[in-house]
Amino acid sequence: MKSGQALFIVFASLLFTWAGQIALGYFQVGRLEPILNEETNYTEPPVPSGLAQTGARVFASQGCLECHSLSVRGPSGSADLTRGWGPRRTVPRDYLFREPALIGSSRIGSDLSNIGLRIPDSKDLMLHLWNPRLRNSNSTCPPHPWLFERKVAGPKIENDALPLPTKDWKQILPKYQAKSLVAYLQSLHSDYALPEAPIK
Amino acid sequence: MTTAIPTFSKATAAATILLVGSVSWALLGAGLQVLSTLQLLIPALAYVLPIPWISYGKLAPLTTFLFTYGWITSGFLGVLTILIPRISGIPFRYGRILGSAAIIWQVAVLVGLAEILWNGSTGLISMPFSRSVTALFFLSFIVLGTGLSRGLGRSWKSGPLLPRLYLLGALIAFPLGLGTAELLLRGGLAPGALQIMMQFVWNSFVHHLWLTPLALVLLFQLLPVLTGRPVGSLSLGILCWVATITLGGWIGNSLASEGPVPSWLQSAGVVTTLLLGVAVWGNGTLLKPLLEGKWEECRRQVALRFLAVGLWSYLASYAWLAFLALPAVRQTTTFTMVGQATQTLLLFSFYGNVLAGAVYALLPASRMIGWPSHPTLTIHFWFSTIGLTLIASSYALAGFFQGLALNDPGVPMSTISSYLRPFLCTVLVGQVLWWIGQLSFSTLFFASLLKLFPSVAPVAIFPVDYDEQPQPVRQGQH
Repeated sequence: MKSGQALFIVFASLLFTWAGQIALGYFQVGRLEPILNEETNYTEPPVPSGLAQTGARVFASQGCLECHSLSVRGPSGSADLTRGWGPRRTVPRDYLFREPALIGSSRIGSDLSNIGLRIPDSKDLMLHLWNPRLRNSNSTCPPHPWLFERKVAGPKIENDALPLPTKDWKQILPKYQAKSLVAYLQSLHSDYALPEAPIK
Repeated sequence: MTTAIPTFSKATAAATILLVGSVSWALLGAGLQVLSTLQLLIPALAYVLPIPWISYGKLAPLTTFLFTYGWITSGFLGVLTILIPRISGIPFRYGRILGSAAIIWQVAVLVGLAEILWNGSTGLISMPFSRSVTALFFLSFIVLGTGLSRGLGRSWKSGPLLPRLYLLGALIAFPLGLGTAELLLRGGLAPGALQIMMQFVWNSFVHHLWLTPLALVLLFQLLPVLTGRPVGSLSLGILCWVATITLGGWIGNSLASEGPVPSWLQSAGVVTTLLLGVAVWGNGTLLKPLLEGKWEECRRQVALRFLAVGLWSYLASYAWLAFLALPAVRQTTTFTMVGQATQTLLLFSFYGNVLAGAVYALLPASRMIGWPSHPTLTIHFWFSTIGLTLIASSYALAGFFQGLALNDPGVPMSTISSYLRPFLCTVLVGQVLWWIGQLSFSTLFFASLLKLFPSVAPVAIFPVDYDEQPQPVRQGQH
């Protein structure tokens, strides 16, 4: 075999790999657009807030993906829907405004694609981040106290202070990272129907 | 291999830096891996000692990063820097530039480590580092890759062809894959689900178009030399090479189940994984006969034994991947610990054993050192092998139980976690054993490098045969 032939085969093979997956994938998935809900006049999937987008990066940086997935599978061959992890299966359009788009690799904890539906209250999510065993004594999720700070309470308790008994007159306040992470988790919900994934 | 290259070539410093880095990252990664499994096994530890930079969420991606880019990639580049001039007969020039590139690679790994510890991972599959680390990897690779590709040039018409073909494929695939992934994932060119597809593609590039071909370079070059037998059919070898390069980049999709990846791409992933299995089987039929009837030599020679285990792990890894790609199996094993079993088979058993064998075979040629016939050789082999068997089998079993339980809505998540504990205990034992194996290898490696042992034979012999005379090796055989 001549070196020119070998080079040609390598480039052709890699082009086949690249074009077959990324270029074709772009035409199928990369050009998806949101659907306009004529009743609410909002687009679906909804555009997350800036705070939630920052939270997506905090979510990744804290390594939540090592134990949680972000993809609900359909009823054939999986129990994701029966477990109540979402009202329907996840489809490519659901990731449209997710930056970075993440999927996770393991389910040591539950799927979080619809955590915003399952735990809608931000206080509950904050408490979970502070100490997951406050809500579920069997939780294997680690606490994230570094996302909070203790501050001496003023004349009154601040609105976003965690509803926990204070020690030494100190209240527990979420840092910006915790706030953005909770905003991101609240933005994770697919309670809207899409043409390719209707809610039954 | 040619004897035209002086034992001390200009790339000696670069090879030494890359190998020292590789051994050090493996040791560090092994320690951190034990810590991370301990946290998974005993979640209460995180409550007793809540330190952000040693949380499981940071240690898990960090160890994968250290093993992939620090240990294996750095090690492969190191042994290839020794090997390629000897295949081609072209010595490297500009040793200092090569040495600087080797240092830059280590700096990139160090920066990646610091970033993941302090700021956390980016969450992207096989790309947990920032742009600055990508830039450093690129910078280093341009120099090292150019050096290695230059070594391919003159001897194209003579000498072994298959190692050079695999090297060519790998040297082109790595920058192409990394550049595309960086542009699409962080350059804002890939919206939404396309980013996830790109992550799967990049993950496939790293493993099946970069590290696997590099391991095959070493297997196709070193096994014939160490056994004294040629590879049987060049035509079959070329066919398998074409299949490996063409299909390797598609495998990642076979492990996705629904979600963001279109179903046709998942089906394509399954088909390519099965076809690649045929190519791997073809390579196996070429390489296995080299070891037939060589049991005694495999028992004696350290390098040959590690390479033989690496070869079997290669076959086992891709058979395992083909099995996982079957739709019924995939539905059960997606998002389970089976992923860690695959990683153990590929990264530790296949690449790790081939790398160890190559270091044992090639380091003496580069540094004019000998391996002592020391009990640590036996410790390295057995602790690593037993450790990896425990880790891979425990993760695989844990993954299957986890998948079956996840698909049964009556089993609560906390119960699934308790199912995993016994398996994680075994994984922990395996990881400790592997760490001890690495520790003994590192001790021997650094002691040999510093010439703390009296000069002995350039072929490492297990101490079982200590009373026998090591077989004389012709000067410059490597």
